[in-house]
Amino acid sequence: MIEVVNLHKYFGKLEVLKGVNTSIEKQEMVCVIGASGSGKSTFLRCLNLLEEPTDGEIIIDGIPLVEQRKDINHLRQKVGMVFQQFNLFPHMTVMENITLAPIKLKGATKAEARKKAKDLLYKVGLPDKDNEYPNRLSGGQKQRVAIARALAMDPEVMLFDEPTSALDPEMVGEVLNVMKQLAKEGMTMVVVTHEMGFAKEVGDRIMFMDEGIIFEEGPPQDLFNNPKKERTREFLGKIL
Amino acid sequence: MDSIIKSFSDAIYYNLIREQRYMQFIQGLGISLQLTLYAAVLGTLIGLFLALAKLGRIKWLESLATLYVDIIRGTPAVVQLVLIYYAILGSSSLPKIVVASVAFGINSGAYVCELIRAGILAVDRGQMEAARSLGFSYSHSMLYIIIPQAIKNILPALANEFIVLLKETAIAGYIALDDLTRAGNIVRGRTFDAYTPFIVVALIYLYITTILTLMLNKLEGRLRESD
Repeated sequence: MIEVVNLHKYFGKLEVLKGVNTSIEKQEMVCVIGASGSGKSTFLRCLNLLEEPTDGEIIIDGIPLVEQRKDINHLRQKVGMVFQQFNLFPHMTVMENITLAPIKLKGATKAEARKKAKDLLYKVGLPDKDNEYPNRLSGGQKQRVAIARALAMDPEVMLFDEPTSALDPEMVGEVLNVMKQLAKEGMTMVVVTHEMGFAKEVGDRIMFMDEGIIFEEGPPQDLFNNPKKERTREFLGKIL
Repeated sequence: MDSIIKSFSDAIYYNLIREQRYMQFIQGLGISLQLTLYAAVLGTLIGLFLALAKLGRIKWLESLATLYVDIIRGTPAVVQLVLIYYAILGSSSLPKIVVASVAFGINSGAYVCELIRAGILAVDRGQMEAARSLGFSYSHSMLYIIIPQAIKNILPALANEFIVLLKETAIAGYIALDDLTRAGNIVRGRTFDAYTPFIVVALIYLYITTILTLMLNKLEGRLRESD
C-alpha cells in the first residue's frame, strides 16, 4: 500500500528525517511512538505531502512521488488526516464540515453527502450533532467529527497525528474507541500516539522512531515486552 | 449676554443663511461622501488584489505589490493626489471627482492590502492544512475555508479605514474639488470669518464619523456574537 524508501527531510539545515525505510500493508494498523522531536509527526506529514520530502521515495498504491506531486490534491483525497488540534472549520456546522469536500471535490449531490455524513456521525457516536457549530462541542466530540470529516472522502489510508494529545483525559477513551472500531473494520491506519495501552492493544505493528529514523519496529508483544535495542528499552522504561 | 447672542446669530446668518451659504456645505458634504465611497470601493479592490499578490507564490507579483505598498505608504497623500491630478490624469478631461477617487483609491488600497493580509494571516495555520489534507487546492482552500474566516477579522478594520478615509479626503481642495473642507474655505473667503465656517465643517465631519463609528461598533458586536 505505502512504500517508503530512504526518506529524508530537512528544515533548513536541521535534518529531521535521516533515511526512513518501511512499508505499510493494506488494512494494517501501525502505531508510531517515540519522544518528541524524534521526527514521527514529520514522517506522518510526509505521507500526504503536507511536508515536502527533501529526498527519498514514497510509493502509494504503486504511484511514485514524482507522479503524486503532479496531482497532489488527488493523492490527498485518498489519504485522510486527523490532527492533534482537530482543525474543524469553525464557520461551518458539523454537517457542512463533513459534506464540503465530498460535494466540492467528488461531485456528490447534497442529499448523498448528507446521508453519508449522517451515517458517519452515527458511527462516531454523535448522531444528533449535525447542526451544531464546532465551538459548541467538547474536545472529544470535535475530534470524532474530524474523523468523520476525513472518512467522508472514502480514504484508503487514515493518518492520525497525536489525535488524543490535546484532549482532557476523560475524553481520550471516546476517540480511541472510534479508532479501534475503524481498525477492526480493516482501515489502513498510521497513528502517531503517546497512548501506549492503545498501541499495544490495537496496533498490528509498532514503530519506534528516534533521531529521525525508525529505530526498531515489530509486533506490539515483541516491541513492548522484548525490545531488542537499549534505546527502545530506555524510552519504554520512561513512559510505561 | 445680549451681545454674545447677537454676535453668534450674526455669525450663523452670514456664514450659513445669507446667499444660501448652507448649500455650499451640503454640496461639499455630498462630494466628500461620494469621493469616500468611490475611493473605498476602488481601494478595497486594489487592496484585495495586492494582498493576494503578496500572499501568493508568484515572486514578481509579490515584489511589485510590496513596492506599491512601500511607495504609497512612504509618501504623503496630498503629494500623490497632486501628482496624479497634474501628471497622470490632469491632461484628460475627466471630472475632478473621478481623478480624486482614483487618487484616494490608489492610496487607500495600500492600507487595505495590509489589513486584508493581516486578517488572512491571523487565520490558524491548521485550517489551511486541514483543507489541503482533504484534497482542496490552494485557491479553493482560500475561497471556502480561509477567506470566510478572515472576513471576520478584516471587516471592523476595513470599516475603520473608511472612517479615516473620509477625513483624508479633506485634502481634495488641493485640486480644486469642492468638497466639504473647501466649502468652508470658500465661505470663509466671502465672510472673512475664520472660525465659524470651519467649526461648522468640523461639526459635520464629527457627526458623520460618529454615526459611522456607532455602526462599526454594532458590526463588531454582531461579529463577536457569531463566534
